[in-house]
Amino acid sequence: MAHAIETHGLTRRFDGRVAVEGLSLTIEPGTVFGFLGPNGAGKTTTVRMLAALIAPTDGDAIVAGHALGVDDTALRRSVGILTEQPGLYDRLSARQNLRYFARLYDLEPARADAQVERYLHLLDLWDRRDEPVGTFSKGMRQKLAIARALLHEPTVVFLDEPTAALDPEAARTVRQFVKGLRAEGRTIFLTTHNLPEADELCDSIGIFQRKLLRMGSPGELRAGLFGAGTIVRVVGDAARYVPMARSLAFVRGVHAEGEALTMELDDPDARNPDLVDALKAAGARIRYVERLQHSLEDVYLRLVGGHK
Amino acid sequence: MKKALVVLEKEWLELRLQRALLLATLFLPPLLTTIAIAAFVLVGLVPASGSAGRLPLIPELVGLSPQELSQVLAGRQFSVLFLLVPIFIPSVLASYAIVGEKRERTLEPILATPIETWELLLGKALAALIPALAITLASATVFVAGIVVFAVSAAVRDLIVTPGWILAVLVDTPLLALTGVALIVILSSRVNDPRTAQQISAVLVVPVLGLIFGQLAGVVVLGPGLALGIGVILAFVAAGALWVATRLFQREVILTRWR
Repeated sequence: MAHAIETHGLTRRFDGRVAVEGLSLTIEPGTVFGFLGPNGAGKTTTVRMLAALIAPTDGDAIVAGHALGVDDTALRRSVGILTEQPGLYDRLSARQNLRYFARLYDLEPARADAQVERYLHLLDLWDRRDEPVGTFSKGMRQKLAIARALLHEPTVVFLDEPTAALDPEAARTVRQFVKGLRAEGRTIFLTTHNLPEADELCDSIGIFQRKLLRMGSPGELRAGLFGAGTIVRVVGDAARYVPMARSLAFVRGVHAEGEALTMELDDPDARNPDLVDALKAAGARIRYVERLQHSLEDVYLRLVGGHK
Repeated sequence: MKKALVVLEKEWLELRLQRALLLATLFLPPLLTTIAIAAFVLVGLVPASGSAGRLPLIPELVGLSPQELSQVLAGRQFSVLFLLVPIFIPSVLASYAIVGEKRERTLEPILATPIETWELLLGKALAALIPALAITLASATVFVAGIVVFAVSAAVRDLIVTPGWILAVLVDTPLLALTGVALIVILSSRVNDPRTAQQISAVLVVPVLGLIFGQLAGVVVLGPGLALGIGVILAFVAAGALWVATRLFQREVILTRWR
């Protein structure tokens, strides 16, 4: 199956300054791709290039089956974009806002009206459909902007910070909606600073700072940077078991803090029984055995911090 | 082209919801027309006594009675307003339609749709030009009718509603209005406040004022030749301004260069 998004050496310079450098990636259809990076990393520039809003200085890309720079109008018809700012017409009602964009996306009037109604219902805005958007809360505006990006049923959707500045309840609604989009088989290109959200939603993640620093599933990124490991919580001071743990051939690193003994192992699933036996033989009384789980934030900070 | 009409429809929908803007712009020509005709009628009621013979008049006004002279001067002063209004109204409407979108950050979502930038620009330009020109021409027609009906003599009518003035209204003012819209687009790349754009675009009024004062001073006679000559120059100016405007009104430029 063709990739939903495929880029080769995508580069963009502004007056000699490199904003995006040699971006090469592939994103599979029906997946959520998280695009993470600090402010000013070039994320928005990348999204604008992939949505055929601005041209790359170098490199090429295929998005939703359309090669960038060949028929950009067709490309724009196949993708939806939620921009960083919702950019809605405050004086117009929710329905008028959506109907305008539906017509700009080439939907005939009857189909435009049907799509507007469908998405206003889906995003729980139908009851407020004829009220001016200027009276809407941030969450409602964001939901309306998401609806606008989907009216023409794009196969690839770019969402730039979809839950930024939303209250927890509205953010959760949006996250559920994104999951629903993936279930429908759409490809989501998600730009976010919310790392737990990226961890929850994304099938693969690219960490980006002018160039792609690392890409993989959240699990792959963790394992690639930190390796696998196990935390054993014992009764009493864990430090006394450190020498014994270091003596085990399959343990690559040991750290004790209070009752927690944190160990990096080659293959925790296979080695944990041996580890537990060795600790018990050394006199340890074990409370819990847990998988060592680094957060996506740890991954992000190590990569971005290291790059700086 | 279909999308340009979608844009136009939306612009008019927004205009209808902006009562203050609507009142301040589209009701201006009918108001001025009413004042112009009222003033024209009133000066025509002045008793026809005394003589205008000692006044330093331009040749075409020599020999008129004081009553005729009063009506001609009043009518000519008001007639020039129909050359100014089509510059003012489209500039105001276009500044809200373009700079307003920039300020509200609604341009990027539009540029993300399959619309061509020329369709977007055309829709916005027509949304500003059509109502302005329609209402100006309608008001000018009413003004002419008022002159025809209330002029104290045929000479008065012929000295106000001249072929030069008619040509200027029909040919020069649409070109000036078009130049005004193009200038607003050019200014949009630099300013973030519609009022600033309007103030700067008011520079277009200067040549028209020059024409008006020149005519009042007798230095310039707005005959058909001059009106057409101005039209040709304005056509070049409008074409140049539109060329610059369309080069600035591109996705790439709007998203990366506009400040």
